[in-house]
Amino acid sequence: METRATTEQTKSLPSLLQRVPAVAWVLLALIAFFAMLAPGFFTLGNFLNIAVQGSVLMVLALAATIVILTQGIDLSSGAILTFSGIIAVLSMQAGLPAPLAMLAGLLTGLACGALNGFLVSWALLPPFIATLGMQGVAGGLAVVLSRAGAIYADAPFFTFFGSGRLLIIPMPFVVAAVAYLCTWVVLYQTPFGSYIFALGGNEAGAALSGVRTKSWKFGVYVFAGLLAGVGGVVMAARLRAADPIVGVGWEFDAIAATILGGTSFEEGRGGIAGTIAGVALIAVLRNGLNVIGLATAWQAAVIGTIIIGAIVLDVLLKRKGILK
Amino acid sequence: MTGVPLIAARGIYKAFPGVQALDNVDFDLYPGEAHVLIGENGAGKSTLMKILAGAYHPDAGTIEVQGNEVKIQNPREAHSLGISIIYQEYNLVPFLNVAQNIYLGRAPRRQTPLLGALVDHKKMHADAETLLRSLNTDVDTHATVKFLGVAQQQMCEVAKAVSVNARVIIMDEPTAALTSREIEQLFNLIRLLKSKGIGIVYISHRLNEVHEIGDRVTVLRDGRYIDTKQVSEVTVDDMISMMVGRSIENLYPRNYREPGEMALRVTGLSSQALRLRHVNLNVRCGEIVGLAGLVGAGRTELAKAIFGAAPYDSGAVEIFGQPIEKNNSPAKMVRRGVGLIPEDRKSEGLALILSVAENVVMASLERLFPRSFVSGKKEASVVDGAIKDLAIATPSGKRQVQFLSGGNQQKVVLAKWLATNSRLFIFDEPTRGIDVGAKAEVHSLMDRLVAQGAAVLMISSELPEILGMSDRVYAMHEGRVVAEVPRAEATQERLLAYMMGQENGNTRNN
Repeated sequence: METRATTEQTKSLPSLLQRVPAVAWVLLALIAFFAMLAPGFFTLGNFLNIAVQGSVLMVLALAATIVILTQGIDLSSGAILTFSGIIAVLSMQAGLPAPLAMLAGLLTGLACGALNGFLVSWALLPPFIATLGMQGVAGGLAVVLSRAGAIYADAPFFTFFGSGRLLIIPMPFVVAAVAYLCTWVVLYQTPFGSYIFALGGNEAGAALSGVRTKSWKFGVYVFAGLLAGVGGVVMAARLRAADPIVGVGWEFDAIAATILGGTSFEEGRGGIAGTIAGVALIAVLRNGLNVIGLATAWQAAVIGTIIIGAIVLDVLLKRKGILK
Repeated sequence: MTGVPLIAARGIYKAFPGVQALDNVDFDLYPGEAHVLIGENGAGKSTLMKILAGAYHPDAGTIEVQGNEVKIQNPREAHSLGISIIYQEYNLVPFLNVAQNIYLGRAPRRQTPLLGALVDHKKMHADAETLLRSLNTDVDTHATVKFLGVAQQQMCEVAKAVSVNARVIIMDEPTAALTSREIEQLFNLIRLLKSKGIGIVYISHRLNEVHEIGDRVTVLRDGRYIDTKQVSEVTVDDMISMMVGRSIENLYPRNYREPGEMALRVTGLSSQALRLRHVNLNVRCGEIVGLAGLVGAGRTELAKAIFGAAPYDSGAVEIFGQPIEKNNSPAKMVRRGVGLIPEDRKSEGLALILSVAENVVMASLERLFPRSFVSGKKEASVVDGAIKDLAIATPSGKRQVQFLSGGNQQKVVLAKWLATNSRLFIFDEPTRGIDVGAKAEVHSLMDRLVAQGAAVLMISSELPEILGMSDRVYAMHEGRVVAEVPRAEATQERLLAYMMGQENGNTRNN
């Protein structure tokens, strides 16, 4: 036993460091890299920028994480985000008070999520298919309702959520923090949270334990839809406008952030803490590439490469037993 | 038995499309008894239990729980009636902790006003702790289930079953994945539960367990009720003949003969990752060589290393006298005439949603069709030959493998390797989870293989199978081959002693 303990110590990192996912190291490396290359990067102002830019993605990634924990997938979150923003802004243009209009946006997200949940739980469609369809429907309706162009709204209550501040903290960041807190409570403090892990880890076993698996799975998609609605409203508030293509591709960033954060499609493994690191990585990358002035056209390819690289690194280090 | 039965089921019928799973079955259970339910695969044991647990509804018949007639609609209702079931399949959630798993679906809520929707983790862990201690186990309630051993996971399952204030606990093949020591622990637990007046329904394929743990035994065959007996009044042979409706002449048909050329020689094989240490063994043509050991002794790992499915650090493997370059691939081994019949046939031996035919030719496509185009005619002739030869019970080669019984699935795996013209077969638990009749057939097939000059290395956790089938036996303990025992000298006691590491035999170095 003694010899084994000593060899283990010499062979691997201290246990606390072992638990830090690879994505965190890549994140630190990127920050150092951008800080050296662009003087404007490592400033408080820019970090606040990154926080604001990452906030909407954070909300969406929380949704992606709980869905992926159930071994599902939500390809419609970007489109729901767009659609919810359009409904909120249209409601304001139609004369609804800003709080109600924003509520309408949230309810839109909720309704889309409910439809996803129904299709998955009771129509028994694979999540991939159900949400891919929803992506088309929500994205398409957004284009129709906005007449294929940006639509504007600037009610002060509304725009406060995009560009206002609570003390010095930008409101989108506040919203993301509240969303994180709510998701944390749901995931770790309620029975629903355990059922989310159970749906991904052993759905049949959960059903045999008396858990109403279909209803809870429905609930997961409803919750994810609501979060996408929150993201859509905040996004529109930031831009003071809703744009019919603003959310295109966001579902992929949200899924990537989740996977980077260590949540996997296997057995309901993971959680939302890692997702923060995944979101931070993507937000820092987007911001940093802008700051150093890389052409937009190149950014997608670079970001994709780094995401894959970080995940491969994580997998390799785990396989070698260097990380846990 | 006297008093009010915990459960009295009368005249239960249940049909599934194409099969009458239960046909007028009676079953009852009294407080404090262990009632063993036996029968071949497809006899209806699991169906009956699922009806009692509320997972299926009977087509006809009555169920009384403590004298009151009930209709059990779903698992929740079964729980509220005090009926718990531990299924054969793993029913825990890997990334939740022990307490969360025990109280899944029934977690205690906080009593504070406004926070009633939240889980009271403190109470949940305290309750789980109390419960686990009352079962004499020391599993940590905060441990993530994924990282527990099989036996500890089983303890969680039992605790979960007890936690609903169960008066009836149904166990479906609880010992399938346990080592002998863990089985002993489980039996102690069952005795403890019995002493508390809980009734146990115990489904098993291991007939030798019946006498050890059971009070009464009920036999089902083809969905029909055969008989219920006091365990003390029946022998294993009685039970087998009741199960199969005929007496099986010989479960271990072997014809021993002089071994021929060397088929497999392993010298000094070591692997840190697989925890194998300096393994030496050999198998000759015409021989069945048993590989005995406890779960975790490294038998499956050794088989995979030999087959090129897992890397090793040092040592040499020779197949039919040819040295094999280190860390080969399964594809190359197949071409050299080696076949591996894996332990977990569902995930490693078969493609369940493919047809019998597709599975049978899977490992020999390149041999059968060297020009890369599959000919249906040639495939059909190979497949039909295999179905006939091995008596695989399937309506045709087109049937999906998932719809066959366990024994027939195992025959399909065998057919797959026979089609490759392999001459060295490594069997990993060849008859796990298959019924007695199919067992005898698989065994006689193995004997036929060696009669035709093939060589067999057989891993098995069932000592009677090792003793009944092997020419020689190697015993493994903690990654080492600790003894080589010829057939004449092999006894259960002796092998067990080696397997538990209590004795070191002299391993001949080849």
